[in-house]
Amino acid sequence: MDEEPLVRWDWIGRNWPTIQELLADHVVMALVPVLVGLLIALPLGLAGVRWRWLYQPTVGLMNVVYSLPSLAVFIVLIPLTGLATRTTVMIPLTFYAMAVLIPAVVDGLASVPDHVRQSAVAMGFTPLRRLLQVELPIAVPVVLAGLRVATVAGVSLVSVGALVGRGGLGYLFIDGWQRQFYTPIVVGIVLVVLLAGIADLLLILAQRLLTPWSRARGSA
Amino acid sequence: MITFNDVTKRYADGTVAVDDLSLEVPTGEMTVFVGPSGCGKTTSLRMINRMIDPTSGRILLDGVDVTTIDPPTLRRGIGYVIQQAGLFPHRKIVDNIATVPLLLGWEKKKARDRAMELLERVGLDTKMAGRYPFQLSGGQQQRVGVARALAADPPVLLMDEPFSAVDPIVRTSLQDELLRLQAELNKTIVFVTHDIDEAMKLGDRVAVLRVGGRLAQLDTPATLLARPADDFVSEFLGRDRGIRRLSFVSDEGLRLRTDLLVPVSSDVASARASGEEWLAVLDERERPLGWVSTRELPGTGTLADLELAPYGSYVSGRDSLRGALDATLLSPSGNAVAVDASGRAVGVATRRALDEALTEVATATGGAAGDTGTTTKDAGGTAGGTGGTGAPDGGAPNGAGTGGTGGVDG
Repeated sequence: MDEEPLVRWDWIGRNWPTIQELLADHVVMALVPVLVGLLIALPLGLAGVRWRWLYQPTVGLMNVVYSLPSLAVFIVLIPLTGLATRTTVMIPLTFYAMAVLIPAVVDGLASVPDHVRQSAVAMGFTPLRRLLQVELPIAVPVVLAGLRVATVAGVSLVSVGALVGRGGLGYLFIDGWQRQFYTPIVVGIVLVVLLAGIADLLLILAQRLLTPWSRARGSA
Repeated sequence: MITFNDVTKRYADGTVAVDDLSLEVPTGEMTVFVGPSGCGKTTSLRMINRMIDPTSGRILLDGVDVTTIDPPTLRRGIGYVIQQAGLFPHRKIVDNIATVPLLLGWEKKKARDRAMELLERVGLDTKMAGRYPFQLSGGQQQRVGVARALAADPPVLLMDEPFSAVDPIVRTSLQDELLRLQAELNKTIVFVTHDIDEAMKLGDRVAVLRVGGRLAQLDTPATLLARPADDFVSEFLGRDRGIRRLSFVSDEGLRLRTDLLVPVSSDVASARASGEEWLAVLDERERPLGWVSTRELPGTGTLADLELAPYGSYVSGRDSLRGALDATLLSPSGNAVAVDASGRAVGVATRRALDEALTEVATATGGAAGDTGTTTKDAGGTAGGTGGTGAPDGGAPNGAGTGGTGGVDG
């Protein structure tokens, strides 16, 4: 009868402040790289559309970066940005976000129908105004789809940072595994999944608000 | 006025899209560029608002070389309608229409008011203002496209195959709407199409272009049909251009008979006494009811008791000779009833009167009145196509070189 239960509720109660701290850290480390990644992906994506030859090398490079095991990158970064720092974890996550978002920006701009672009030109939009008022707004659904993938992946990937001492909720996995104690592991999994789900939901909501005009809305 | 002076567009790979094009598009008229694909009609259109710049030659807009004007400024002063409308999917209909006024810096309120006004003008319900383009049908979208092009009241309108992506019924109503608008607005319109029937219907003048971007002929539709410049043009116009030409001949010359009109209250005896084979029976408001054959009259009674044969009618002064001819074919009497705009019968065009009028048209071929004759090289040999009175369609080729029947590609 001494078997360890899946969840010890009293442990959760006693450790609630720590869990909250880890959760907050996790949110920051998951979202900042996606936002920074988006800010970098926008100009790079635009450049990829403008100078077509630039696009394939950029995507290729991003895919190579994406294929690097995150743990290896963390270890390489430790001498530069320190052990157990947010920066060490967030730098590779930013690159992963960019690997998803650059193609999303390029595909989004490519989703602008040719006749729409042509008519914008014919009506006398300057190139900058056309980009800001016509092309980028129309690219929003595709970019947001990429943003959803990047955000959910980011939330899940932060946990790996626990191996170099900064993984947000990932700490709970290591802790539980080392002590053969299930409760923190379960709490960690539930919170990570919940966090990813909420972030995704918020992005879907944002999409509905930002793009009431999208045809895909009915079928999505 | 838009003037093309020796305009050539040659691409880097050596393809010549437009070859030494010179023509004038008069102010307040609709000029249609028509031709098969690869004839450079869209390229020519896009050189007017500098979406494409010519390799050599000049395009003048009211005497000003367009290449001296900054493209966005130039384009805001020229309405543009594209195939599939090209509406902005992320903007509501009212905002789509207000696009150019807002680019020009109008106040938001003024631009929206103008947009609402145009929405009605192109025949759309103002309830549509708050909708997004995907909620509209293709035909409605294209009306919005026209409204958007007109929003800043530009003197010039460029239309690039605007109606070719909608079904034929909608296309016809859009064409009628454009003609109605143009009658009110008198814009200088350049309209591009590959559809010769559309060109003939809409154009005050039609420029037929051949592959390689050369102008084959620029004339009024009536002149094109009467005197095509060469085999290419007559082939392109199609085989029934003789009949179609009648669309551009007014029915004025048609002699009408009023003695064949009888009220429905007449008695059978007076109908018999007329000595005519067929009489057109009118109701008490003088509208045609049908034809009665005096050979099959009963002994007594009035015409109201009889079963009448179907009739065909055309609106005198509005429909063309083609309408009158069509009307004669709808009735066993072989005659057409001419009505006025309110539907009251004004006379009967007998087959004989029509025959006389058709003969006159055929004789006039080669020197038709009211033409701005330009590049006609071949004034003879076109009579073969106008033989409306004799040979049935597809009959023996009477030796006319440009006759539309069974010609092979030149």
